[in-house]
Amino acid sequence: MLEMYKEWFDARHEYAKEWKEKSGGKVMGYFCTYAPEEIMYAAGILPVRILGSHEPQDVTEPHIFAMFCPFCRDCLAQGLKGRYDYLDGIMISQSCLHIRQAFTSWKMHIPTQYSYYLPMPMKVQSPRALPYLRAELENFKKSLEEWTGNKITDDDLRNGIELMNENRRLMHQVYEMRKKDNPPITGLDSMYMVVSSQMTHKQEHSRITRDVINELGKKENGRKTGERLMIIGSEDDDSKFIQMCESVGATFVIDDHCTGSRYFWNEVEPNGDPLTAIAKRYIERPPCPSKDWEERRRIPHILQLAADWKVKGAVLIQQKFCDPHELDTPAIRKALEGKGIKTLFLELDVTVPIGQFRTRVEALLEMLQEEDLF
Amino acid sequence: MITAGIDIGAKTVKVVVLKDGKVAGKAIDLSGFDQRGTSDRLFRKALAEAGADIKDVRMIVATGAGKGEFPHANDPVTEVTADARGANVIHPKGRTVISVGAEEGRAIRTDAQGRVVDFAVNEKCAAGAGAFTESMARALELKVEDLGPLSLQSTNAVPMNAQCAVFAESEVVSLVHAGTSKQDISRAIHDAIASRISSMARRISVENDVVLIGGVAKNKGFVESLKRDLATEVFVPQDPEFISALGAAHIAFEKASKQGGN
Repeated sequence: MLEMYKEWFDARHEYAKEWKEKSGGKVMGYFCTYAPEEIMYAAGILPVRILGSHEPQDVTEPHIFAMFCPFCRDCLAQGLKGRYDYLDGIMISQSCLHIRQAFTSWKMHIPTQYSYYLPMPMKVQSPRALPYLRAELENFKKSLEEWTGNKITDDDLRNGIELMNENRRLMHQVYEMRKKDNPPITGLDSMYMVVSSQMTHKQEHSRITRDVINELGKKENGRKTGERLMIIGSEDDDSKFIQMCESVGATFVIDDHCTGSRYFWNEVEPNGDPLTAIAKRYIERPPCPSKDWEERRRIPHILQLAADWKVKGAVLIQQKFCDPHELDTPAIRKALEGKGIKTLFLELDVTVPIGQFRTRVEALLEMLQEEDLF
Repeated sequence: MITAGIDIGAKTVKVVVLKDGKVAGKAIDLSGFDQRGTSDRLFRKALAEAGADIKDVRMIVATGAGKGEFPHANDPVTEVTADARGANVIHPKGRTVISVGAEEGRAIRTDAQGRVVDFAVNEKCAAGAGAFTESMARALELKVEDLGPLSLQSTNAVPMNAQCAVFAESEVVSLVHAGTSKQDISRAIHDAIASRISSMARRISVENDVVLIGGVAKNKGFVESLKRDLATEVFVPQDPEFISALGAAHIAFEKASKQGGN
């Protein structure tokens, strides 16, 4: 069952095209995990996350500064190369400057029927964030109604909420299993699970995930766990990197990144007005560093994850030139080191220098094992 | 007990053979295209120098960028750990190890036992490594070994930017056109590498004593520049290019001793 996630990950475009053909529905590409997918599902739209391909490219130079992160350029390159030509619309829930540039360039240069900029508040800690976002979600809902010609009822919204919540609960269950001394699933497969959930219909993904949970509960994992690591960063869908780390005597048992736990960690509490409930969920989710101020709420959250999943070492990996993440890094490292968790800081580019990174990861593992070495 | 360390670097292969933890044989040569063949040949050469036979060798630890290329090795260890261990053997008071080889520069902070506390490695770029001095020497029509002594005769500090080895070469050409002396340009080159290396070392915070190892440590001009930049004494051991292999050989010795027997 686990293979399904990787199949979806590898054939994301084919999946969406097939879904579109079968259902006759619309597909919306979104740029950041603050996108309220509940509302899109309520409108009968399939939301898919726009991600890069990890191939060097030379088409974004006229549109995005070279000192903007490689991820936002990689995303835009996918659009410019026509790989997302099946999208009926694109939307972004306001987040960092770099990915906003990818969105606006896409809107200007790639013909798309529909586009929407949702002004998600940056200061989620403000008491005004919730009523503000609720009102913006209302606007987004109206815009979708106009576009599709169908009214979105509260019941539709509740269905959208339940669809998303169920998927979140199931992925949580899988993550719970990773607390075991010998986790039945690798960090790589966990990453495939989460990223593929951003590319497929939640109903189908949940169906497979239920089977996966059954399978993982029975299976003895023949693999040696090695050192228990955590990965912390932005979007870490670089499968080659994760695979390399897990091939040299370590397992990622938990993460804090938006192709991982940050995406699905908390549920919508479906009480009262559905739009308020949805808004509350996005305001209160484990924050992206671009929204985590004045207080840094990520840090106690990360420390709790590290404790609960018995983490020994942490890899902090960020996109090159990602200021929000880089700003957090010293504070996170200090907090983790204070708990005796060794850290390694790395920067992602579109491709990673795998040999150099291997040496550094191995050196981290040697630091963790140094008591045995001498 | 015979143990060995082999460091298969980007440019050269180094072997150190220990007899009861003391250096008994060494060998070095260019890695060439056939790293495996070179490693094998050097390993036998170092063994012969130690008067030991291949079947006496209790344990071999390999390190360096090509550490996977030596099939006789019992265990690999990263360059970071090998550098730290080797520097600790030679200079136990060392707390910061700076290792500059042909393609890589590293800064490592260690504890009193030579264990790694923190480290930094240069990114996808040769501007802070030995290959840089080679291309600069070419631009000056000098032998690389003449660059160091020449720079010590410099009377002027000329600023030069070494963000990129390729652009730095054109900067050298501009200095030549401006009539700058070879002595001053040589110093500028070393200052530029030293500044790259120091800023990397400051990332992990520099603690005394500082030990400089790797082939580039043989370049006296670079050592002077680094001392100036870090504003501290820098200890350069004898045969600095062998320290990583020495560290690997010591790790092999300690592992074998733990297993018992002789």
